[in-house]
Amino acid sequence: MSNNWLKYRPPPTIIAMIPVAVAVNIVLSTVVEAVGLPVFLDTTGTILMTALAGPIAGMLTGVLTSAVNTLRNPTWWPFVAIQIIVALYAWLAARRGWFRSLGTAVPAGLLLGVIASVTSTPISYFVFGCSTTGGIALTTKLGQLLGLSPFGACFFGSFLSDFGDKAVTFALVTTILHALPRRTAARFPLALRAVGRA
Amino acid sequence: MRFLHPFTLLTLAVALPALAWILPAPWGGAEALITALALLLTPGASPGFAAARTAVITAAPFWFFLYLLHGVGGMVTIGLRLSTMIASFVWLVAILPPARLVEAMLAAGWPVSAAFLFSATLQAVPALRERAQRLVDAQRCRGLATRGGPLVRLRALRALALPLVLSALHEVDERALALETRGLVAGARRTALAPPADHRGERVLRWLLVLSCAALLVWRVA
Repeated sequence: MSNNWLKYRPPPTIIAMIPVAVAVNIVLSTVVEAVGLPVFLDTTGTILMTALAGPIAGMLTGVLTSAVNTLRNPTWWPFVAIQIIVALYAWLAARRGWFRSLGTAVPAGLLLGVIASVTSTPISYFVFGCSTTGGIALTTKLGQLLGLSPFGACFFGSFLSDFGDKAVTFALVTTILHALPRRTAARFPLALRAVGRA
Repeated sequence: MRFLHPFTLLTLAVALPALAWILPAPWGGAEALITALALLLTPGASPGFAAARTAVITAAPFWFFLYLLHGVGGMVTIGLRLSTMIASFVWLVAILPPARLVEAMLAAGWPVSAAFLFSATLQAVPALRERAQRLVDAQRCRGLATRGGPLVRLRALRALALPLVLSALHEVDERALALETRGLVAGARRTALAPPADHRGERVLRWLLVLSCAALLVWRVA
């Protein structure tokens, strides 16, 4: 990948992979529904793409995910910034080798949960009045009942939803990276570094 | 409205929610929502009642949760803005086929890879969703427990998500080869087969909408 972001021209492999990563972001909700876990996993493709191909490919995946989701539900678009932040954080995680094991990935995911909730709270508060999803609205109400300020209650709701979600997402991406055939992983130098094979 | 250039439709769909937020509440939001609903329901020129029903179904939970969190006043203020955003985009999706937007992007000089990413993603999502459903059914047939404690569910998540993602990644090589053989590399440009007409009046309208939003924002902030 070029160091000059503005002149970045993705190779055909990356162009072919981005739609797959976006579809992973969107379709994992089907799997989540099947197992009934309170997680979204809607950044799995973004994190995976970043770990494999770098931050620009990851950000493109995130922006495209928000654009496609907006066609189904327009309330997705304001959260496009979160996808970009997730991609940048995943790049840092890949460079530092945090995908080396579940022992490093899960704490890294928990930290991303904190960052994501801090970032999404102003969007959720000022644009949606914290009514983004049923779960977040109800936990925000719980925060209000506990005596938190409106903004604090909104953060409480976002934090509860993001904290576990990002940890599970990081663990899942780590599992996928380690399960990649060596021949496939070898084409992505960043991926080898992320899992500690390089 | 369908004859309008895709960029004009896109600008309208973005300008209406922007105005709902910029103009003083609740009347600004109400006026923007009425305009968005008029676009949805104008006979002969709009997607009609099916799209309006989609907008109402999407917006309804927000009104309920807003009432729960903010009472009637907050519900009306924020609900009008959110409903404008939902109605505008539901109208846009109903009236603008993605293929027409891709043609407009190509005609405007966007790289073919950008147009490909957009259209390929729209095709990839339903295909992968179908595969995910097949995988869930197959794993359940093999006796995979998807209910129980958190650890059981996490194990089930791994058993379902891992093969889904790996199988999707497995196909990337073939797709990349197909793209290369068709000359679809980054930065390549294509001639649009049927570029939508972009009249001067529409270009002026787009700029007027953008400048109006910017001027109103400055007026509100000042």
